[in-house]
Parts: sequence; C-alpha cells; structure tokens
Amino acid sequence: MDKVLSGHRILIVEDEMLLLMTIEDVLADLGCESVVSASTVDSAVSLVEGQVFDAAVLDMTLNGTSSRAVADALAARGVPFVVATGNQDDIWDGFRDRAVVRKPFKYDKLVEILMRLLPGRSSDD
Amino acid sequence: MPKIPDKSDEQKDAEAKVESFKNKLGPFVVAADATRMAMVFTDARQPGNPIIFANDSFLSLTGYTREEVLGQSFNFLMVHAANAEALAKIEAEFQGESDGGSEIRYRRKDGSEFWAALFISPVRSEDGDIVQYFASFIDLTALKEEQAHSRQLIDELNHRVKNTLATVQSIVWQAFRTAPDAKAIQGAIEARLVALSRSHDLLNSKNWKSAGLLDLLNDALEPFVDGRAERIMITGENIGFPPQAALALSVAFNELATNAVKYGALSNDSGSILIEWKINPTAEGRRVNLHWLEKDGPLVIPPSRKGFGSRVIEHGLTDELGGTVHLDYQPSGLICTMSIPAPEGSANG
Repeated sequence: MDKVLSGHRILIVEDEMLLLMTIEDVLADLGCESVVSASTVDSAVSLVEGQVFDAAVLDMTLNGTSSRAVADALAARGVPFVVATGNQDDIWDGFRDRAVVRKPFKYDKLVEILMRLLPGRSSDD
Repeated sequence: MPKIPDKSDEQKDAEAKVESFKNKLGPFVVAADATRMAMVFTDARQPGNPIIFANDSFLSLTGYTREEVLGQSFNFLMVHAANAEALAKIEAEFQGESDGGSEIRYRRKDGSEFWAALFISPVRSEDGDIVQYFASFIDLTALKEEQAHSRQLIDELNHRVKNTLATVQSIVWQAFRTAPDAKAIQGAIEARLVALSRSHDLLNSKNWKSAGLLDLLNDALEPFVDGRAERIMITGENIGFPPQAALALSVAFNELATNAVKYGALSNDSGSILIEWKINPTAEGRRVNLHWLEKDGPLVIPPSRKGFGSRVIEHGLTDELGGTVHLDYQPSGLICTMSIPAPEGSANG
C-alpha cells in the first residue's frame, strides 16, 4: 500500500472509541504513524495549543457538546482540518467552506480530503 | 389567573354600545363572555377593525386591561406589525378565504410573545351587511414548545443513529482486519454488536446515575466465570462511577477477561486472577489504583503488535476517564495497572 501519509502528524478529535481506532488504522495503513487523538473539547484544545499538527479530523459534536472551540483553535494556528458529522446540520458560521465527511464515513473520501489538506506534499512518494 | 380590574366609565360606555347587539344575539354573547377561549368582537365599519368587545380570557391571555384593549385596531398585538405574510393571513381570515387557524405571533403587554391560531367569523345585520367580526384565539404556546422539544429530540436521535451506523461500520471494518476466517469475523461482529447494544441500554436507562466498581467487575466477568469462580478474587470498595466512566471501565474489564480466557490465566486449569484496588491521595488529586494480576496461567508471550483489546482499554482509560493504564506482559502472567481519577463523593479507602 502507498505510504502517502508518512511523516505527517495528524490529530483526530472523536468521542466514539471504535470510530477513532478505525480512523487511526486507516491512517496507519497509509504510513501515518504520528496520530494523536482526543475525545473532549478541553483535551483537544490543549493539544492544539501545545503541539504542532499538519492536519486534523474534527467531529462536530463530542458527547453532546459542540466542538466549535476546537475548530477556532485549529483555525487560529492555521491547521487545516476536515469536519466529521452525522448530522445534516449546517457547519458552523465561518467554517462553511471547510471540507466535510458525513458519518458513516467513506474512508477513501476522508483520505482524499486529508491528502488535499496536507501542506507541501512532495511528489516523490 | 390575573386579577381583572374593575370596569371604568369608558369600559361601561363601550359595553353599552354593544348592548344592542348583545340583546340581538342574546345567549351567544353571554357565552363569548364566559368561555375560556380568548375572544374579541371588532367593528367592521371602522378602518382597522377596532376592538369593541374583549372577553376575560382574552385579557388573561394578553395581560391587558379592558380599557387598554377597547378601541385598539385588531392588529395591535402583532409582534411584527409590518409582517406582510402575517397581515395577508389575517386579511384572509377576515375575508373568509381561509379555513381558519392561521398561526400568528402576538405580544403580551409584558413584552413576552405567544403564538395563537386565529379564527374569524363575520356577524351580519338583518339585511346581510357585515357589521362586526367575531375573532377567537387559541393559545399555541404549549404546542409550539412541544414541537420545538420534539424537533430537538429528533435531531438528537438522528445524530445518534448516524454515529451508531459509523460505529457498526468500524466494528465490521475491525473484524475483517483482524479475524482470520469467515466464522471468526462473524463471531467478532456479533460479540461487539451485543456489547454496543448493552452499552446503549446502560446509557439510556433513566435511573442510572452511577454504577459500583465491584458490580461493574462482577457484571463484566459474569460470562467468563462459569466453573471458575474460585479462581477469580476481587477485593475493593464498591466505588460509584458515573455512566460514561462506568461504561469505559466495563468495556476494559470485558477485554481483559476475554484475553484471560483466550491466552491468559483462565485458558488453563490452574491459573487465577487477583483484582484489587484502593483510593490513594496523590498530587493530582485522589486516584483509584487498580491492579489486575494473573498467575499460574500458560507462559505469557508478549504480543508482537498492539491488539484490538489493548487499544480499546488504553483509549477508554485515557480518553474517556483521564486515567493511565499499563499492560505488563510478564512471563508468569499479565499485570494490568490502572490509575483513574476517583469519582466525586467517593470515600478514601
């Protein structure tokens, strides 16, 4: 399998454990060993503020709470992200132009979006 | 019911003016006065259909006194007096072009708003001219609140359905990734769907405020205990954990027990498990420190890569409980050490 995501550091913010693990596996299969995860708004925001990420996958709702604060923190640091949601609801104001994946996921689509978001990908991989 | 003030001279005057039609219509107007449905009569021959009669229910609904209402144009209660759509609906009610029941947003004297369904009928003189209109209002506040609440519940349910589908997708995905053959895939999917259904029950039981650690362990081990009860020793207080934390612990214990039955101390005839915990005060606050110690099982060979079960345990304990977990694959038996923040209100022990 192509290790198209090798060397990248990706944050997954998701409160459903099995889903989180599957995203981890999908990314690991593509060579992304540096996957960090968070399942609450607070822990996600402190990760974003304290570490460097190339991209993020952000669930819109964490245990019934909007994760908008995480989106703001990511945007403030210029970290590109894809919004994951099970709802047909509108994406938050100010983030309508962001890439969205609907649950259940099409993992191919998730990967395709992440690859598009990642900065400065070289063509030799 | 707010107190209705005494009638003023103006009111008496106004009532005198409608006395003639009261006389003509007799029992009908008496009924309008007494009914619990909010009603007004308007003068059809004046511009703006000024109100010439308002019953007590209308005054209760709107919070106005009778003097404040009489002589006002029919639309004086509208929240958006210039709302063309609402005005058109009201006009249609007056013209008899509606089946009745147009929903209009009105404002009470105290500024609060309410929705009302509006019904308007003409009152005709003997020669057929429309002299008055008779309008009744059904307060839709409770109905609207109920509708908004239902909408919220439906949204929440939709969200859960989508999340559950995504979880099922993960279960299938993981089973195909790790199980060696079709039968194992089927078994893995079944076991995890049953566990998913069980956690759904737990989180949705209304009276479920907390679950004791001892109860959680016994419950999680129950499917594995059969004939091995004396080989599992559990010592510790029945510390109560809130639902989300209890669920993560329950999943972790289930994974540990599954592992013990497949490869560990419960996979031969002589092995045993000791599970013990206590609460320790630490610099980061009070923590529950739990040890799961297996011994006398077959020689333990550490797994070459992190298995599904250990990942579930790690994610659950760290992401959902804010704790730490360490799996130590000693040759003599697995040692699992957990450290989790003690739930509020639990006693030291």
